[in-house]
Amino acid sequence: MKQYSDLEYLRLSKGQKFTYKLTSLLAAIPRGIGRFFANIGKGIKNGVVGLGSELKDIGATFAHGDWKTKTSYLVMGFGNLARGQILRGLLFLLFEVVFIVYMIFGGAHWMSMLPSLGKVGPTSEYNAVLDTYTTVYNDNSFKILLYGVLTIFFIIAFIYTWRVNVKQNKIMEQILKSGKKLKADKDDLRSMVDENFHATLLALPMTGILVFTVLPIVFMILVAFTNYDGSHNGYSNNLFTWVGLTNFNTMLSWTGGTGGGQSYSATFGEILAWTLIWAFLATFTNYFLGMGVAMMINKKGIRLKKVWRTILVMTIAIPQFISLLYVSKMFARNGLINLSLMDLGWIKQPLPFWEDATWARVTVVLINIWIGIPHLMLITTGILMNIPADLYESARIDGANAWQQYRKITLPYMLFITGPYLLTSFTGNMNNFNVIYLLTGGAPTNPAASGAAGSVGYTDLLITWLFKITTGADSQYYLASVVGIMVFVVVAFISLVVYNVLPSIKNEEDYQ
Amino acid sequence: MENKRHMGLRTLNRVSNTAIYVLLIIISIVWLIPFIFIVLQSFRVESTYQVGYVIPHQWGWDNYIKLWNSDFKRWYLNTFIIALAAAVFVTVIQLCMSYTLSRFRFKLRGPLMRFMLILGMFPGMLTMIILYRVLSDLGLTQANAVPGLILVSVASSGMGYYVSKGFFDTIPKSLDEAARVDGATRAQVLYKIILPLSKPIVIYTILTAFMGPWGDYVFARYVAMGTSAGYNVAVGMYSWLTNDQIARMYTTFCAGGVIVAVPVTILFLCLQKYYVEGVTGGAVKG
Amino acid sequence: MASVKLTKVKKIYDNKVVAVHDFDLDIHDKEFVVFVGPSGCGKSTTLRMIAGLEDISEGTVEIDGEVVNDLQPKDRGIAMVFQNYALYPHMSVYDNIAFSLRLQKVPEDVVYERVTNAAEVLGITEYLMRKPRALSGGQRQRVAIGRAMVRDSKVFLMDEPLSNLDAKLRNQMRAEIILLRQKLDTTFIYVTHDQTEAMTLGDRIVIMKDGYIMQVGTPTEVFEMPENLFVAEFIGAPKMNIVKTNLVREGDKYFVTPFGAKIPVTGEKGKMLAEKNVKAGEILLGVRPEHMTLGAEGQGSIPCHLVVNEMMGSELHLHVDTADGSRLIVRIPTIDLDKEGRSALVGGHNLHVTFEGKAMHFFDPATEKNLLV
Repeated sequence: MKQYSDLEYLRLSKGQKFTYKLTSLLAAIPRGIGRFFANIGKGIKNGVVGLGSELKDIGATFAHGDWKTKTSYLVMGFGNLARGQILRGLLFLLFEVVFIVYMIFGGAHWMSMLPSLGKVGPTSEYNAVLDTYTTVYNDNSFKILLYGVLTIFFIIAFIYTWRVNVKQNKIMEQILKSGKKLKADKDDLRSMVDENFHATLLALPMTGILVFTVLPIVFMILVAFTNYDGSHNGYSNNLFTWVGLTNFNTMLSWTGGTGGGQSYSATFGEILAWTLIWAFLATFTNYFLGMGVAMMINKKGIRLKKVWRTILVMTIAIPQFISLLYVSKMFARNGLINLSLMDLGWIKQPLPFWEDATWARVTVVLINIWIGIPHLMLITTGILMNIPADLYESARIDGANAWQQYRKITLPYMLFITGPYLLTSFTGNMNNFNVIYLLTGGAPTNPAASGAAGSVGYTDLLITWLFKITTGADSQYYLASVVGIMVFVVVAFISLVVYNVLPSIKNEEDYQ
Repeated sequence: MENKRHMGLRTLNRVSNTAIYVLLIIISIVWLIPFIFIVLQSFRVESTYQVGYVIPHQWGWDNYIKLWNSDFKRWYLNTFIIALAAAVFVTVIQLCMSYTLSRFRFKLRGPLMRFMLILGMFPGMLTMIILYRVLSDLGLTQANAVPGLILVSVASSGMGYYVSKGFFDTIPKSLDEAARVDGATRAQVLYKIILPLSKPIVIYTILTAFMGPWGDYVFARYVAMGTSAGYNVAVGMYSWLTNDQIARMYTTFCAGGVIVAVPVTILFLCLQKYYVEGVTGGAVKG
Repeated sequence: MASVKLTKVKKIYDNKVVAVHDFDLDIHDKEFVVFVGPSGCGKSTTLRMIAGLEDISEGTVEIDGEVVNDLQPKDRGIAMVFQNYALYPHMSVYDNIAFSLRLQKVPEDVVYERVTNAAEVLGITEYLMRKPRALSGGQRQRVAIGRAMVRDSKVFLMDEPLSNLDAKLRNQMRAEIILLRQKLDTTFIYVTHDQTEAMTLGDRIVIMKDGYIMQVGTPTEVFEMPENLFVAEFIGAPKMNIVKTNLVREGDKYFVTPFGAKIPVTGEKGKMLAEKNVKAGEILLGVRPEHMTLGAEGQGSIPCHLVVNEMMGSELHLHVDTADGSRLIVRIPTIDLDKEGRSALVGGHNLHVTFEGKAMHFFDPATEKNLLV
C-alpha cells in the first residue's frame, strides 16, 4: 500500500481520502494481530530468560549464603526467625506446614488422579446386613478435577512463596552486611496500613476473584476436554474422563449432527452471526437514539428538563425481569397488544411477534431500545455538557448549520470519548442474557438446528444457547464449555482488533 | 430586512422546539405506559389472565391478597437480605479494589488489570455449573440458597471496579500527597481524605449493589433448583408466567411487580443525583 | 540545624526515561534554594524525591545527616506547599491547617493556639471557618502555607506555589514569602519555572535542564557569569541576544566583529580573556538587551532597521533586524529619549546599535560553555 505524506494526502480527493483511510485501517488489523503475537513471543522469551536468571540467582544465593540462608531452602522462614523477624518467619513456616499437610492428606491424591479423572465409578455391592444391593460411590471425577486444579494453584503459590523466602534471605544478608538494621515485626505490621496498604486492600477481593472466578474458569476450560455431562456426572452415574479435542471437533464439524438437522458448525455459525448482528444493532441503536434524546432534552429553550430526564431515569430503577417479562407477555400471541388490536378490529390474526423469526428479532431489538435509551441518555448527557460551548460558537460563526455542527463537532467528540465504552457495550450485548432469555427464551425454535444440543431458537445468542445446553435434557457441560471458550475467543478477537485500531483513530482526533 | 431575518430564526426555533416537545411527550408515554399498565392490571379482579383492555372492569385488592398468601413474602425477604448483604460487602470490596488500582503504583498493577480484563471476556455463565456444584457440596443451595447467592455475588465483585476507579482518578493526587506529607498513613489518607470526598461514588456503588439482586435471575434459579423457599423474587415470579401457571397468576405477577418496583424506584429516585453522577463521571472513563 | 544533601540522586521511570541525572547538591541550614528550569527539566521530580513522594532510583538524600531514602514522607520532617494548593475540600480552613497536628495527636488547645497564630501571621483569621472553595486563589495559597507552617518542620518545600496566581498577586505573595522566610528561619527549597521568582527569592539558584544541573550559584553569579549558553538565555528578560561572530586578538587586546562592526572587549572581561589566553576564532557572543544602546554610525556600531517597538512604560523594547536578518532586542530606558527621538522609532526606521565591551559574554560554539569559566 502506498503511504502518503501529509501534504500529498491533503491533495487527494474526498473519495481517495476515504479509500486511503479505509485501507490503512484494514492494514492496521493484521499489523495489530501481528503485534499481539509478537508481544506474546516476546513475553515467552522474557519468561524463559527470567526463569533462567531466577534459577541462577537461587543457586548463587545458596552458594554465597550463610548457614541460616541455606537452612531456609528446606525450612522456610528459618532465616527470618534466626535473624529476629519472628512474624515473617512464622508465616513462612506456617505456609510450608500447611502445604505439606495438605499434600500428604489430599493434594498428592488429587494430583495423582488428575490424569485419569478417577478409575472406579459407582458400584453395586451386596450389603449383608440389609440383604440388598446398595450403590457404593467410589471416585468422584468432579472433585478430582476441581481439587486437582486447586492443588496445582497451591503448588504454584508454594513455589512462588519459596522463591520469595529465598530472596528475602539474600536481601537480609545484604542489609546486615551493610551494617543496617532489619525491619522489626512492628514495622511490618505498621506497613500494612501504610506503604503496603495496597496489599491489605487487595487481599480479600483478589482471594474472592481467584476462588470464585479464576478457579471456575480454569475448571470449565478443562471441562471442554472431557465428556462431562448429565449421564457422566463423575459421581453417581458414570465417571467422566479426558477426551482430547473431540468436543471441538463436534462443534466445528461440517457433517450433520446426530438426530438429523444441520451440522453443529452450521448451527454455531448461525447463532454467532445473529449474536454479532444483535450486538451491533443493540449497541448502535441505543447509542444514537440515546444521544438524540439527550440532545433534545439538553437543547436550549426546552423546559422541564428535569421532568423528562426523571421519567426516563425512573425506568432504570425498575428491575429488568419485571419490565422484560411484562413486555414479553404484552407482545405474546394472546397478549395485550394482539388482543386489543383484534378487539379494535384492526387485525384479524394475532401478529406473530414471537412466532416468526424476523418479527421476533426486530421486536427484540426494539424492546432493547426501550430498555437501553434511558441509560445511554444519562451517559451521553454528561459528555454532551462537557463539550466546550466555544466550539459550537466558533462553528456557528464559521457558518455551520445544526446538522453540520452535529456531524463535525458533537459526533467526533462523542465517539472519541465513548470509544472504549462502545467496545465494552458491544461485548456486553453479545452476552446480554437477560434481554433475550426473559423476552423470548430464544424462541421461535429453529427446526434446522434440531440436531444440536439445547433447543436452538432464532433469537438465541451464544450465551443463551450455552445456558440451554447446560439445563437441557442431557446437560452437555462439555459442549457448553466449548461454546463458552468460543465466546471468549470472539470477544477477545474483537477487543484486540478494536484496541489496536483505536489509537490510529485517536491520533487524528485529539481532544485532550 | 434585519428584523425579518431575526423573526425567521425565532419562528424556526419555535417550530423545532414544538416538534421536540411532541417527541418528548411521545417518548415519555411509551416509556411509562407499560408500568402504568402493570399497576392497573394488578387491581383487576374479573380475570387473572391477559385481556384486550387496560382499565379493569372490576377493581380490587384480590391480587395483592393472593400475593400475601403465596410464597412471595419469603421470596421478597430472601431478595431483600441478599440485596442488603450485597450492598454492604460489594461496596467494601469494590471500593478497596478501585481505590488501590487508582492510587497505588505497584509492580503487579498493570498485569493485574490486564488479567481481569481478560477474565471478564469469559462468559460468567460458564462458571455457574461448577459454582452450583461447589455450593451444593457446602449445603448452600435450594432452601439455603440465600447465603450461597450472597457468597457468589460478593466474591467476584472486585472485577467491577471500573466505575469507582474512574471516579477516584478524578480526585487530585496532590491531596493524597499533601496528607502524606502532613503525617497521614495510606490508610488514614483513605478514610480521612478520600472517602469523605467520595460520597457520590460510595452511594452509587451501594445503590447499584443493592439493586442488582432484585433482577438476578439465572444463577438464582440454578441455585434454588426448584425449591420455593430458596427463590428470590425474579425466580419465583418467573415461575408464575410459565404456560401452566400464567392463566391463574398473570395479574398476581403484576401485583408482585408493583410491590418489588415501588420501593426500589422510590429509593432510586431519592438517590438519583448520585446515580447520575456515578454513571456520567465514572462509567465512561472505564 | 537542617541541612539537605543530595548525592548522585537519579530518577529513572518505569519506561526507562531518566528524569534526573546524578544530582549533587549540598543545601545548608536555613538556606533558601530555588530549583528553576523549563517544564520537564526534573526540578519538581527532584523536590518530590526529597519529599518522599517519588522513589529515588539511585543515590541518597540526607536530611540532617540522616539518609531518608526509605522513610515515608511523614517521617522526614518536611512540610510542603503544592502548586494547586491541595487543600482538603471537605474541611474548613481551620481543620485544614490543624490536620497534621491532629494526626500527631497534639492536644486540642495547642492545636488552637498554633493554628490561630499561623492564621494571624498570614492574615486569614477571618476565613478560618470557611471551606476552601469559598476562598480566592491568594487566600487558598495562604492556607496552604499555613498548613505547612504549623508543622515545625526542618525543611520547607514549595512546588511552584505562585504559578496559579495572577501576575499582580504573584508579586505580592513573592514579597510575603520573603517575609515568611525571615519569620520561620528554616531551610527552604523552592521550585519554579519563573526566573524572576528564582532571582528574587533564592540565596542560591539551581538551574536545570533535561534532568541535568546547568549551574548552581547566587543570583548575581548566574546573572553575571552564566556558565553556559542555556543559563545565559534562561536568566534575564528579555533574553540575552546571541550572535555568532569572531573573536579577534590583536596583541593583548580582543575585539569582536559582529555584522561587520569591530567592538573592543574592555574592562574586566578583556582582562579575563587575556588571563585565560583565549584563542581567537569563532564564538557565540552574548549581550543582554539592557546593555545595548543606540549609537551613531561608525565602526563600533551595527546598522539595523527597526521591526517592532514595544512600549513597556519605563522602557522600550526595540526588536531590530541586522543586515543579514538576525533579530536583536534592545532595551532602553524611556527617559533617555526625548519626545522627538521616541516618535522617530517606528517600523522600518534605520538605526545603529552598539554595546560596551564589559557587557559581553563569550561562549564556545561547540560546547556552549562560557569561555571565561
